[in-house]
Amino acid sequence: MDWSMLADPDILMVLTLQGLVRGAMYALMGIGLSLIFGILGVVNFAHGELFMLGSYVMYLVVSILGMPFYFGIAAAAIVVFGCGVLIERGLIEQLRRRAGRDWISDSFVLTIGLAVVLQNLAHLIFSSRQYGVAELVEGSVPFGDMEISVERLAILGFACLAVLLLWTFMKFTRIGKAIRAAAQNAEAAETLGIDVRNLFTVTFGLGAALAGVAGALLISIYPASPTVGAEPLLKSFAVVVLGGLGNVSGAIAAGLLLGVLEAFTIFVASDGWQNVLTAYLVILVLLLRPAGLFVMQGKRA
Amino acid sequence: MGESVSARAAPDGTAPIARNPDAPGVRLRKRAIVKIGLLVLLAIFLPPFFDDRYLTTIFISVVFFGILGAIYDLMVGYAGLNNFGFAGVLAIGAYSSALCQLNFGTSAWSGLLIGGGVAGAIGLLTGLITLRLRGLYLGLMTFFVGETIRLTISNLPQYTRGTLGLTVAPFENILGLDFSRGANPLNYYYLLVVLGAAIMLFMNWLVRSKAGLVWRALKEDETAARTLRLRATRWKLLNFTIASSLTGVMGSFYAHYLGVLSPLPSEFGVGRTVEVLTVAYVGGRGTLWGSFFAAALLIGIQEYFRGLGAWRLVLFGVLLILVMIFVPKGLARFKRLLQ
Repeated sequence: MDWSMLADPDILMVLTLQGLVRGAMYALMGIGLSLIFGILGVVNFAHGELFMLGSYVMYLVVSILGMPFYFGIAAAAIVVFGCGVLIERGLIEQLRRRAGRDWISDSFVLTIGLAVVLQNLAHLIFSSRQYGVAELVEGSVPFGDMEISVERLAILGFACLAVLLLWTFMKFTRIGKAIRAAAQNAEAAETLGIDVRNLFTVTFGLGAALAGVAGALLISIYPASPTVGAEPLLKSFAVVVLGGLGNVSGAIAAGLLLGVLEAFTIFVASDGWQNVLTAYLVILVLLLRPAGLFVMQGKRA
Repeated sequence: MGESVSARAAPDGTAPIARNPDAPGVRLRKRAIVKIGLLVLLAIFLPPFFDDRYLTTIFISVVFFGILGAIYDLMVGYAGLNNFGFAGVLAIGAYSSALCQLNFGTSAWSGLLIGGGVAGAIGLLTGLITLRLRGLYLGLMTFFVGETIRLTISNLPQYTRGTLGLTVAPFENILGLDFSRGANPLNYYYLLVVLGAAIMLFMNWLVRSKAGLVWRALKEDETAARTLRLRATRWKLLNFTIASSLTGVMGSFYAHYLGVLSPLPSEFGVGRTVEVLTVAYVGGRGTLWGSFFAAALLIGIQEYFRGLGAWRLVLFGVLLILVMIFVPKGLARFKRLLQ
């Protein structure tokens, strides 16, 4: 390994950009997971399978129906939102109603079961074949000896757009405000006449939709297959821990940070070690700062 | 002893852990002994009755997963600790035994102890850093510890051969019994039954001892237990370490039985943890023996529907979901209907 290469500004630039693209996906996944955890208290183990659903929808719309890719992204968002709503109403709410005090850890196990079902249903319907889309946008931008494709930059742009839309929604709409209120104190929100039951459903749908968008955006890098969700799931857990459970802005920062860190690790060590680094990092953070990297100790997000 | 345990653990008689609060203890114990005796007889005489390689390997996997499920139950059902990195501990047991045999020439038999020891040490270490955390943090932390173990194994091919697969020698022949690869797998089956019986009796004693009482108290209400000056973290650590060590022994058995180790997610990752967890939850938390019924049911389904391919895993998942929502106490709930 030639460390002096890291001094080259072009290489630094390309690596950082690649890291940000990676990080944008982690952030999208992490925000969804964090949102769901923050409001419902559920750690959604089937989050990777929602990513998978998004990528299949993208493939169907873009490759089979031949529509432009932004239609695919919108379709993925809508379809996976619908799936999220069904999952919340059909399963999670049932569990919440029946199980008592311990329903949170039970819900973790419930979503594990859901992940197994979704993954194998995909296997039955689409077989284990990978369905990819070659390139959403063509062309590349040179940086000295290296280059980065326009597509990667487009992915970064669309991810930012998705986050911006979510932020606008949370900041300015009635439902968004209600969600933020419920995140702070669900009981108080209910007393003030907010229908928390519907809010839970909408939130789960939103979190799911973000995972779906991530899956759709990254189809050229992660082609749709039944097990495509495994790595994004692992990374979104990492992001949520680093950013603090339930902390949405923390998830964005942690996602981007993790993405850049991994891009550099792959460059310096080799492919595969970035996952080890992430896992150790998460353990370290859980040990030293269990509330997340970006939160003052003792203050809950 | 039996009745005093349930009486103390559940003063109001509503706690789910009380085995059978309305039945008198003595009669219950007699019945339990008869039932366990029947089960053991069945376990000993059924496989040689068929004496078929394929069926024997299925019996082996039923008992293997039954034991693993029971160990998982020792954590989740009695102390409320979820170890989502369970498969990582299994990997530690398997790899430490296999690598010691390969590099230092230790026998596979001492490997059982090595696997148990190393996994116990790792479990202790994991417990030390995780058990301060509660609930979901514990779940997430153990999940990452498990993944870290698997990924580290996978990324050190110079020692572990990574995903290429590590070939492991079988158990050495002992007492005139042949454990080589081509031999009758019945010998492995009986080895597993002996190992399982020892582990089950130990855990059965454990959950009835003072430690078992403390664990249940912690599971029911940790704050209340702490106010009684129980050192919560230490007791949890004990549970975690014992369970990890037993898992390591099973991992070592697995390594020498299977012959090839590979750090794939389905072998030593999330997939394996999910299987064990399903067995434990479907069997019923806080029952120990329920795992064997769940393992028999689940593996039976799996083998019977082998032609269905991925459908059987869908069935697995659906079963887990249904159990979680409708029968959170698992198969053990139906036990009473049968009596």
